[in-house]
Amino acid sequence: MSKILSVGIDIGTTTTQVIFSRITIDNTASYFTVPRISVLDKEIIYQSPVFFTPLKQQVFIDGDKVRDIVAAEFQKAGFQPSQVDTGAVIITGEAARKENSKTVLDTLSDFAGDFVVSTAGPDLESVISGKGSGAYQYSIDNLCTVVNLDIGGGTTNIALFDSGKVIAKTCYDIGGRLIRLDKDGTIQYIAPSAQLIADQIGARIAVGSKGDVSTLSRITDAMADILAQSVGLKEFTPLAEGVRTRTSSKDMLRQPIERICFSGGVADCVKSTSDDLFAFGDIGILLGRSIRSNPYFAKARQIEASQTIRATVVGAGTYTMNLSGSTIYYSRGIFPLKNTPVYKLPANVEEAVFKGEGQPLMEGLEWFMSQSSSSQIILAVKGPHNPTFQTLELAAGCLVKCAEAVLPADAPLIVISEEDIAKALGIAMSNASDKKRKIASIDSVSVEDGDYLDIGSPLMDGLVVPVIVKTLLFG
Amino acid sequence: MERDELVALITAEVIAQLKKAGWKAPDKPVPPPFAPQEKAEKKELPPDFDIASEEVKKIPLLENPIDPTELSHMKKRTTARIGVGKCGARLNTQTMLTLRADHAKARDAVMKDVDENLLKSMNLFSVKTQCDTKDTFITRPDLGRKLSEEGVATLKEKCAKNPDVQIYAADGLSSTAINANLDKIMPVLVKGLESKGLTVGTPFFMKYGRVAAEDQVAEIVGAKVVCVLIGERPGLATSESMSAYIVYNAHVGIPESKRTVVSNIHKDGLSAVEAGAYIVEVIEKILAAKASGVDLVK
Repeated sequence: MSKILSVGIDIGTTTTQVIFSRITIDNTASYFTVPRISVLDKEIIYQSPVFFTPLKQQVFIDGDKVRDIVAAEFQKAGFQPSQVDTGAVIITGEAARKENSKTVLDTLSDFAGDFVVSTAGPDLESVISGKGSGAYQYSIDNLCTVVNLDIGGGTTNIALFDSGKVIAKTCYDIGGRLIRLDKDGTIQYIAPSAQLIADQIGARIAVGSKGDVSTLSRITDAMADILAQSVGLKEFTPLAEGVRTRTSSKDMLRQPIERICFSGGVADCVKSTSDDLFAFGDIGILLGRSIRSNPYFAKARQIEASQTIRATVVGAGTYTMNLSGSTIYYSRGIFPLKNTPVYKLPANVEEAVFKGEGQPLMEGLEWFMSQSSSSQIILAVKGPHNPTFQTLELAAGCLVKCAEAVLPADAPLIVISEEDIAKALGIAMSNASDKKRKIASIDSVSVEDGDYLDIGSPLMDGLVVPVIVKTLLFG
Repeated sequence: MERDELVALITAEVIAQLKKAGWKAPDKPVPPPFAPQEKAEKKELPPDFDIASEEVKKIPLLENPIDPTELSHMKKRTTARIGVGKCGARLNTQTMLTLRADHAKARDAVMKDVDENLLKSMNLFSVKTQCDTKDTFITRPDLGRKLSEEGVATLKEKCAKNPDVQIYAADGLSSTAINANLDKIMPVLVKGLESKGLTVGTPFFMKYGRVAAEDQVAEIVGAKVVCVLIGERPGLATSESMSAYIVYNAHVGIPESKRTVVSNIHKDGLSAVEAGAYIVEVIEKILAAKASGVDLVK
């Protein structure tokens, strides 16, 4: 049994939070079968209060103040940065688009331990918050489709899970703090997406003028309506497309959704029946009300989120690490690897490789290396189901030959497959190579083209490696 | 009489009896917890469909389930025959026939012989235990653990002596398992072991073989490690499952606890190539530790 200490740091549009969790992994297979290392338990051992994200002049995150918050939380939790094994620091929502977010991540890098994701993007955030909210686990436990809407201050991150698989993810510029008011109800700030929605529905609002409940409610009603459209409960309109977060995925699958789950700060407002509609100096409570009374959402079957405002930080702290399959192959000393780009073989290239034809791979690989600034690369394949060893030998021959021709002499040959074939493929590659180049073959991890991987040092007597799949935002 | 009429009649009778006993009907009918959903469209199956195929087993036979989606989720979780409906107190005809078809497959796996062409294509010669028929094999487990005199002579003549590892296959209780997996697992095993610098003995096939016959094989060829790939007793879910029993420094009469086993090798369990690659590592560990079974500290 191994215990891993994981940290999650989320710097959002509105709030900044830190959590520490303990992840327990062990071999759950019986003595008579191959080992199967799984995550047994994820226990949150410390969670910080919810801080307002310190900002400088609306457009900058105050990096020094964020650093102070994080440092103080490490101290309160009783951990040193060196004790952290894994986790994530992510800047989410509108905050990620602040001018200096990259610099802020750099100032936090020494808290992040050796092996931490330091970047995110709207799509990855959607997945992280959907896992943190419990929607992901619900879809596994009940083998159904669950869509999670994490409605924060600046954005709504949406992820659709089907029985534990992420099948769609997207993000909209809709949140509780898109319009902010002072104590007297005077509008202090209107985000561009809120202005766009107001203009479209003919609601007049302006900074400096009083915000009245009926006008603002019309806007939040329209926002709730767009969210209903985004998950396919209502016909999609151009306005919805207009407020979709630019860097997010467009294709939300229109597949029957069996359950719906709300997380994020606004999720608490969906249930709240508070009389003080501007308790937070924003439109969060109104947006919550609008969602509650939206007839399209009323038709959907809702489930309770296990985390609301903390969904993203819990997801970041406990769900960013995956374990590889338990039968893998690697040369000694090849791990850890950081920020290694993934080249996913197109279907026709992969087919050729498993037939022993290396030319298409050679061309693809040359192109990818010429585009990439990294000298290292991970080749991703789906892999055949229940193959013969001859098939794997054919593929191994191609892979080794292409690596010799295209990769630098000191770069390792790393192949990652979805099907459970890694150990056999590793043996085949090792037999086909001159043993000078380091080789790794990892399976049971699903990656996409354009992902970057961190692969940590082997765990559990070398049976598995921890893998973090990430999408770089500041590529 | 139509089913619906029958249901209506029984309901009316039950209500009448309840009323006699002083029960009052509610003003409004109480809705069920979930309203019955619209009938899922039944897929048309081809006239020659195989009732024992995975595809057909996935279709629930239960009529008018309250929540068909939930039922299909439940069916995805298990290979058990749930959601099959019934006719009175009995199984439906199709369920009954599927059970018998699966049972027949399991019996076939036990009773059939391993494909001669497969053995030929893999250049494996055959030896027999002291059983001369399947019936003896099944009724006399003790004889399935001992090689015939002829078998002993053949091994002495054809097998390389004192290898690090002796691998062979035996039909055991499922020839189907050997037919399905042997040609996939052997190459990776042999090449994997050889690439670790180990000597691999001459592989062969043993007919009517039980696990413990490997102890006699170890004595004859003088191998440090013996690994038998053997068909597992089939169940009603799969008949293609194979196991590897690996033992260090075996002799006839060695305790069963000294065997290391890798089981559940088939296309929906651990795939044969990956099992082969894993067994290579297990054998390497056994040789390093000079121990197998419970003596091999995990």
